[in-house]
Amino acid sequence: MLLQLKNVSKWVQSGGQNVFLLKDINFWVNEGDFISIMGPSGSGKSTLLNIIGMLDHFNEGTYTFLEESVHSLKEKHRANLYKQYIGFVFQAYHLIDELTVKENLEMPLLYKKQGSSERKALVADMLDRFNIVGKKDLFPSQLSGGQQQLVGVARALIASPKLILADEPTGNLNSKQGDEIMGIFKELNKEGVTIIQVTHSEKNAAYGSRVLNLLDGCIEC
Amino acid sequence: MIRNYIKIAWRNAMRQKQFTILNILGLSIGISTCFIIGLYIHSEMTYDTFHEKGERIYRINQPNIWDDWNEKSSNTGANVAIALREDAPEFEEVTRLFRTGTQIVRTNTDALANLHKEEHYFAAEENFFDIFSFQFLQGNPKTALSEPMSMVMTITTAKRYFGDQNPIDKTVEVKSDDGSWETYTVTGVLADVPYKSHIQFNILVSLKSFSDQLRVHDWKWIWTAFSTYGLVKEGTDIQAFTDRIQAIPPKWAPPTTQRIFNQTFKEFTAGHDWSLYLQPLKEIYLSESPAMHSFGPTGNPMFVKIFGAIGLLVLVLSSINFMNLSTARSSKRAKEIGVRKVLGSKRRTLIKQFVLESTLFVLIGTIFALLFVQLSLHIFNTIANVQLDLIPYLGNPLFLGILLLFILGLGLISGSYPAFYLSMFQPVETLKGKVSAKFRGKGIRNGLVIFQFTISIALVICTLFVQKQLVYTSSLDLGFEKDNILQIHNIEQIGFDTEALKTTFAMNPAFSKVGKSFGLPPNIWSGDRYKTLESENQVVQLRNVRTEEDYLDVLGVQFIAGRNFDSSRSNDKYKVILNEEAVKALGWGALETYTTDSPIGKKIALASGREDQFEVMGVVKNFNINSVQQKIAPLVIIHHQNDKVWDYGTGLSYYSMRLNPAVIKNANDLQALIEGVKENITQIDPSVPFEYSFMDQNFESTFIAEQRMGVILSIFTLMALIIACLGLFGLAAFTAEQRIKELGIRKVLGAKVSELAFLFSSEFTKLILISIAFASPIAYLLVNEWLKDFAYRTPIDIWVFILAGISALVITLLTVGFQTLKAASSNPIENLRME
Repeated sequence: MLLQLKNVSKWVQSGGQNVFLLKDINFWVNEGDFISIMGPSGSGKSTLLNIIGMLDHFNEGTYTFLEESVHSLKEKHRANLYKQYIGFVFQAYHLIDELTVKENLEMPLLYKKQGSSERKALVADMLDRFNIVGKKDLFPSQLSGGQQQLVGVARALIASPKLILADEPTGNLNSKQGDEIMGIFKELNKEGVTIIQVTHSEKNAAYGSRVLNLLDGCIEC
Repeated sequence: MIRNYIKIAWRNAMRQKQFTILNILGLSIGISTCFIIGLYIHSEMTYDTFHEKGERIYRINQPNIWDDWNEKSSNTGANVAIALREDAPEFEEVTRLFRTGTQIVRTNTDALANLHKEEHYFAAEENFFDIFSFQFLQGNPKTALSEPMSMVMTITTAKRYFGDQNPIDKTVEVKSDDGSWETYTVTGVLADVPYKSHIQFNILVSLKSFSDQLRVHDWKWIWTAFSTYGLVKEGTDIQAFTDRIQAIPPKWAPPTTQRIFNQTFKEFTAGHDWSLYLQPLKEIYLSESPAMHSFGPTGNPMFVKIFGAIGLLVLVLSSINFMNLSTARSSKRAKEIGVRKVLGSKRRTLIKQFVLESTLFVLIGTIFALLFVQLSLHIFNTIANVQLDLIPYLGNPLFLGILLLFILGLGLISGSYPAFYLSMFQPVETLKGKVSAKFRGKGIRNGLVIFQFTISIALVICTLFVQKQLVYTSSLDLGFEKDNILQIHNIEQIGFDTEALKTTFAMNPAFSKVGKSFGLPPNIWSGDRYKTLESENQVVQLRNVRTEEDYLDVLGVQFIAGRNFDSSRSNDKYKVILNEEAVKALGWGALETYTTDSPIGKKIALASGREDQFEVMGVVKNFNINSVQQKIAPLVIIHHQNDKVWDYGTGLSYYSMRLNPAVIKNANDLQALIEGVKENITQIDPSVPFEYSFMDQNFESTFIAEQRMGVILSIFTLMALIIACLGLFGLAAFTAEQRIKELGIRKVLGAKVSELAFLFSSEFTKLILISIAFASPIAYLLVNEWLKDFAYRTPIDIWVFILAGISALVITLLTVGFQTLKAASSNPIENLRME
């Protein structure tokens, strides 16, 4: 088992009342899973994804990732944990506008303090694998949305994470570009990468092996 | 519509409190600094403007014929005025002020209780008040000084002598050189002299009281104890007039030079022009030369220039801040602008709105600035030793008009860039929120920040060097030990026989050495023209001071040839001691040549044609007789009993005592000692005013102007720095907002807080490094220029630049540090969420 959430709840104070964003979530993921989280807007999909990605805190419950109790870890350890095992893909790509494709790809490696030659090799691999060698010196603004998301996925993969978290990865793309990205996810999943994606689209959800329906912060309630 | 604008402006200001506070604070600091400097400069530039005929009053200056002919002096001979009355009909009136020197004055009713030393005491000609408009409270300005032995005084002085009695026709006594008392009659009482007057007097006596001296004196063209003022007729062409009066000295002075020096006019001037310069009254206070020998305070035009430049720069800095912050926060306004444009607002209307908004800001900033100036002015007055006052200006329509123009102008200037910039946005883009994504104007903003910090850092470097120079000069080797020397003044009042007093001092164990002198460093100014026997016609200007042998011991000056005076050898009193400079000036070589051609035994004589020759018996190592701003002048030390030199028996004299640190251990001991000395003097002659000073303090005080400038400069530098930092803080906040997404991404991708902090602050560090690179050469040039005024200059060390640079970096990092940490440690999820 890669990770497990037990009785996880998150709430915020609003007007003196607790408003639940997530309520009593029980959920596990095995290595090699490809899970789609679905649900209407405001149902807590992104919050759940962020908690899994250790970017957000929760108020109650336990979260175990590779036998580590995430909820009791210090901030620093938690950061090290997700740096090592998790890659993120965003709906709005979140590439850094001032950096070229190559530099964007290189960034996670810089923060992992990898050597220069190793970085070069890995970046070259990625460029090759996603067929974007010709674009390596372009800036994000010079790419189409699909190409930008391709870079986003490549960047998420470059540090060889066990788990990819994707928040509506095709939300800003047309259907052809979306299919391409989903195809890549499918392939990655076959290679053994665990993927959790948030999506609105039944079609995209169908790429996955399991679907999690979220409504008002609950799974299947 | 205007109401709507003001409402929007107000709500925006309230919504973004941080920016509002930064903006108003920066503006207020800038404006108040500018105001204070403005008041200071205005005050400096309006000296002597209260005289009704001021526009037509000129002072007649001439070369300093006693020392450096290239230097202008306000001192002229007694007869310059006489010649001008004769040969210059363009003058309606010509008048003279005569420097009598400090006088001892008492009311004849009660000798002791009402005896004062009067420093601001001059003799004026009877038409003095026809030219100058000093306000009379009692007496007739036309006739007050027309009789010998008449005197006018200011009301404060009159109160001092006569209390509430009517002073008119009362008499006072003034001690004369021979110790007898002369009686003067008070003929007028004046209001206290306004502080903005270059002539500061408490007492004026009629010049006719000195008519004996004036009549018999042969020295009428070289007795330069007078200042000559003239009132020109209306419509006089000053240039042509000045050209015309150049004929006067060659026509009138030759009899004097013949009689006194046995030289023709040409020989006397030795190729220099004896020019007469007309200096307008309103320029006297601030003109650089002749700054010396005035009748009151003189300003320093360099300070006015420096502070004027700083005032302007600080204002520019705060305007830049305003522009920077306004454009920086524009992304927040983008949506409002978009909506307004969609709803049909024209670009012009938007520009108007933003200019109005910035004018409102400037108005509020100005109001705060006025308050701040009013509250802090007395502190500035104390530090700068001025008497500035804001209140009188507030009722002045001209000032209010300028103020209004200032507000509108600054509002327009500082509002125009943001206005044009903001109104440029395309409505569709702004509504989509795209403006912040590709935010423009970054280059300009960075440029402005670099400009601000270049100025601030340059100021910091200059300030450091001013301080360094002050420390350097006060620790210079003067050629003698200036500490622990107590100096008792007014010894001349006791009479010439002061041996009894000296014996008393010498017996006091608190003093290790005691000596009398007729001048004290750093104020040895008197000089005369000397010649050597070898070359009759070559005349050399030497400073001279009379001392007894023990005084040189008190100072501890070193003899490099010959010996000190010896009172047991009666011939010694007609011999002289020179300093190295004087030996050089007389053409007798430098120290190296003494062995082959010793100056000892050579003779000098006064150039004024007397037969007496003085043998050189010793040469002392150079020591500072003036402030260290000056090079050491050639000096001849004359024995105090040498009665063959004309000024024998006149002049102020002093006893100097070196304190014995074994006896005087603390301030209480010193106080008791001074009380004791006072007692000693009172026992000998109770009419002698007791005054003392310490030599080290006197040297210190030669730097009072520089020290003041140093303090003021530090304050303004601090202001400039604060403003720059406020701007940087605001910009950092803005940049943090701009880059928060990028920082979020980096964080999600694994960046540590420290790495983000470094990344974020490095942007600002870069700007500061560029500023340092710009500021250093600018500061170098300025410091180099300033140091030229000093004879002894502190080296322009590189470490000062490094220190200033590092301080600037540290300040920058502290300023942006808060924003950095805030940005770097925020939760990326908050910032990456899509709207």
